[in-house]
Amino acid sequence: MKDLQHLYYFETLLQEANNDLVRQAQSEGGIAIGYTCYHMPEVLLNLGKCFSVRLRAPRTGSMELATYYMSNATCEYARALLERGLEGGYRFLDAMAGVDGCECMNRSMENMEVLQTNDPDKKSFFWCNMEVPTSDNEDCVKQVAEQISRKVLKPLHENYGIDISDSEIRRAVDEHNEVCRLITEIGNFRKRENPNITGYEFHILTLTSYACPKYLILDKLRETLEELKTREPDKKKNYRIKVVLIGSEIDDPELVSLIEDSGALVVADRFCYGSFPGRQEILLNDQENALIQVCRQYLESTLCVRHCAQHKVQKRLDFAAQLKNEFHADGIIYEQIKFCTYWSYERALASHVMQNEYKIPTLSIDRPYLSRTSGQLRTRVQAFVESIEIKKIKARNAQEVK
Amino acid sequence: MSYNAKTGKGLGNLYKADRRCTTHREWKGLRDTFYDYFRWLKMLGMLGTTLAPVLPQLTKGLMRYRWLVSYLTTPAFVDRHTVGLRSYELRYAHLQFFVVLRNSAKMLCDILARDENLNPKSKRAAKLREKTVIFDEMMPIQIMNGFPTLKGILIQMLPIFEAGEIDQQANMYYIDAIEHYGLASDVCPLPAADAGCCVVDDFPKIGSAYISSAMPCDGSAASTMFSHRYFKMPSYQITPPQRFNEPEVQEYAIKNLWGAVEFIEKQFGVKFDWDSFFEGVKRYNLECGYMIDKWDINCTPYPQVCGAALALHREYEMQIASSLDPNFVKYDAKVSALMKKGYEKSKAADDQPKYRAIVWSCPAHYYSNFTYWAQNCWGIKTLVDMECMLAYHHYDEHDKQKVLLDMARGYERMTMRSHSNGGYVNALDECWKICEQFNANIVFMYNHVSCKNFAGLQGLFEDQARERGIHLIWIEHDLMDPRTVSRKAMRDRVNRYMTTVFRAEPLDPTLVDYDDDLTW
Repeated sequence: MKDLQHLYYFETLLQEANNDLVRQAQSEGGIAIGYTCYHMPEVLLNLGKCFSVRLRAPRTGSMELATYYMSNATCEYARALLERGLEGGYRFLDAMAGVDGCECMNRSMENMEVLQTNDPDKKSFFWCNMEVPTSDNEDCVKQVAEQISRKVLKPLHENYGIDISDSEIRRAVDEHNEVCRLITEIGNFRKRENPNITGYEFHILTLTSYACPKYLILDKLRETLEELKTREPDKKKNYRIKVVLIGSEIDDPELVSLIEDSGALVVADRFCYGSFPGRQEILLNDQENALIQVCRQYLESTLCVRHCAQHKVQKRLDFAAQLKNEFHADGIIYEQIKFCTYWSYERALASHVMQNEYKIPTLSIDRPYLSRTSGQLRTRVQAFVESIEIKKIKARNAQEVK
Repeated sequence: MSYNAKTGKGLGNLYKADRRCTTHREWKGLRDTFYDYFRWLKMLGMLGTTLAPVLPQLTKGLMRYRWLVSYLTTPAFVDRHTVGLRSYELRYAHLQFFVVLRNSAKMLCDILARDENLNPKSKRAAKLREKTVIFDEMMPIQIMNGFPTLKGILIQMLPIFEAGEIDQQANMYYIDAIEHYGLASDVCPLPAADAGCCVVDDFPKIGSAYISSAMPCDGSAASTMFSHRYFKMPSYQITPPQRFNEPEVQEYAIKNLWGAVEFIEKQFGVKFDWDSFFEGVKRYNLECGYMIDKWDINCTPYPQVCGAALALHREYEMQIASSLDPNFVKYDAKVSALMKKGYEKSKAADDQPKYRAIVWSCPAHYYSNFTYWAQNCWGIKTLVDMECMLAYHHYDEHDKQKVLLDMARGYERMTMRSHSNGGYVNALDECWKICEQFNANIVFMYNHVSCKNFAGLQGLFEDQARERGIHLIWIEHDLMDPRTVSRKAMRDRVNRYMTTVFRAEPLDPTLVDYDDDLTW
């Protein structure tokens, strides 16, 4: 396939947390709010002149300092962020909107706070660590709304004079929805029999939409969508099977690239920093307070594994099967970043349930934060590809015999 | 075995590398040995009389449940926790452990009488099951004080939690089972063993509704994915807030807790009995009062009820018995009276401990008598244990709304959760505060290798301990799995610290190096 016109530009943006667009937005008076977790409603960090930056630690090398502070038995993503913070990589931020969502991420944020990785010259800087309930009923919605009002919106208003009114929230939702529509439309090309966009390319676009000020990427996303409408896929398929990739945080597009290089085209991305969930429109009615509606939709739409109630576990399993069918995938890859407790349980359970009850071929892997050089991972994906191919051949032969 | 300057009490000679139990009983002097033996007989008598009504099921159960076999070693468990103790300290330990074990024996009796696996055709067992709610460990079973016609049982408590403390080998099979199933080996082995017990179908079937968990850690919450699928019964999930130091989160906590009450009311068609509940609350307040007395005395130069006798008792009293068992108050009163006498005696003799320590972070289940070893070997007295510093605030005894708030706050501060959740101040700042209150300059800093909550604060602990001049002795362990870090390896960390930093000589050199990998 012909290269996407803006792919290199987007790839370059992802080389730094404090990238060109973040710097541009800040030079125009923007307020950069760092966050990491889906439970922190992204759209509410984009009010007024604020813009959200979902934190990553691209090109992470050694994590020695963070390992001293958090030991070597904690999630590498959480450690990579702390390391980058200690190196001064997040001093550009004007606030940090953390979530007490999982142990490692919570401790990472707390270490940053205690060790003061923020820029001391930014006097209006604030930290928050938000409580998020592990269920989704109306009491939980109220709880989240209270937490956000007190820990995020209030300091944004008091420290930076940000308009946090209902109408401003609705405006931010509109802008957010436009990005979501574009990403969803682009993502829908993956449903084709022979998709004209790879999982890697799509992941780059999605990541950019998390890591950059939205108003600065809209034009290029629109152009990319137009380009895709006429983009021809390679006549000979350059993949062997199609898979849904499900699991914990992936902000390293190289992992998707590794999987695709092994013959499995990633057609659906159901992981943190992916498009499911995160790039679905937020639908508001005019009767109810916008903040409450936003909180409800985030709580209801989350597919986070910290929600362990039976109905939420079932919802995640069903959704995985739904993605597999909608995107015409041949199987599912469940991945977890090493030392992620929640995903370890989900992966162990789901890989059995999907295989035995839903009859969907499933591969279960764990991986380091940066896995581009993992030969072991490549071998496992290749073996999975082969196993599915063998199943297809056997099924075809059986039909021919009939 | 009297004290000898060269060999101390010679307690290390009780162990042999190829033996599961000690080679012989310790000689504690005529009076104490007689008392010790009397308590030993009393405990056996209590176990016999409590379990006699379910003897057939017990016999069957020993064939059916792997974990149940571990309870045959209960006398050895008590011996481990009384070795080296004399006089008042020996009596505190015996009384504290006796009431805990009596409660556990009753729970076992309740389980065996109800279990569908052991009583498949019994109508009586079926009726009992219809009136039983099962709870995840560390769930607010205290609410069952308000349902006097129903029975609440902590389902994982005997198969996993306590079994691992009774017998260090008890949990390995379940951990292996779940890791074989695909769970990563770096997660906390306690919920992992819970999930493993589901996978190998080794939980008894004893109830008809299930109150599940979101505490005290990610692993504990996540393991309910397995237990929900396994128990297959109507369930309610209690999800206490994480940032519980904030008053704003309590409204949700109360509603969530009350939801459990409504769920039970609906499932069993009974009403919550406030009068009965407040009776339980009164017992809880008394228990907390006795606990605070023990802490107060341990803050003085003459600490009394220390080590595992303090910690395990409080854990079981608050978390498991949960003021449902009046025996705890009775025994608390006995220990309290004895403790005051012991204090006066120590004060008169100016009998002060050589070193004063506290235990922080999560201790190893498979080595619950570790603090007694440190006391016997090096003279380090453990004044308080983080795990026993659960909720100890007073509950309102009259106002329904207030008591619900008190109870919600109580369960937010359940075992481990009180310090591992709610922000770093609960773990970090609290540690230094407790050191100051108890006048301790040594912290046995348990480094549970699978606990991410505390691992995430490792560097900050190190930095701040140095700033404060506190001896932080890191002791690695893997909670329920002694294969990762053995008891001996745990002892070696203290031995090294005491010889290199303190330049100390052991009180009992035979305890410095011995092999107890095979023992229960």
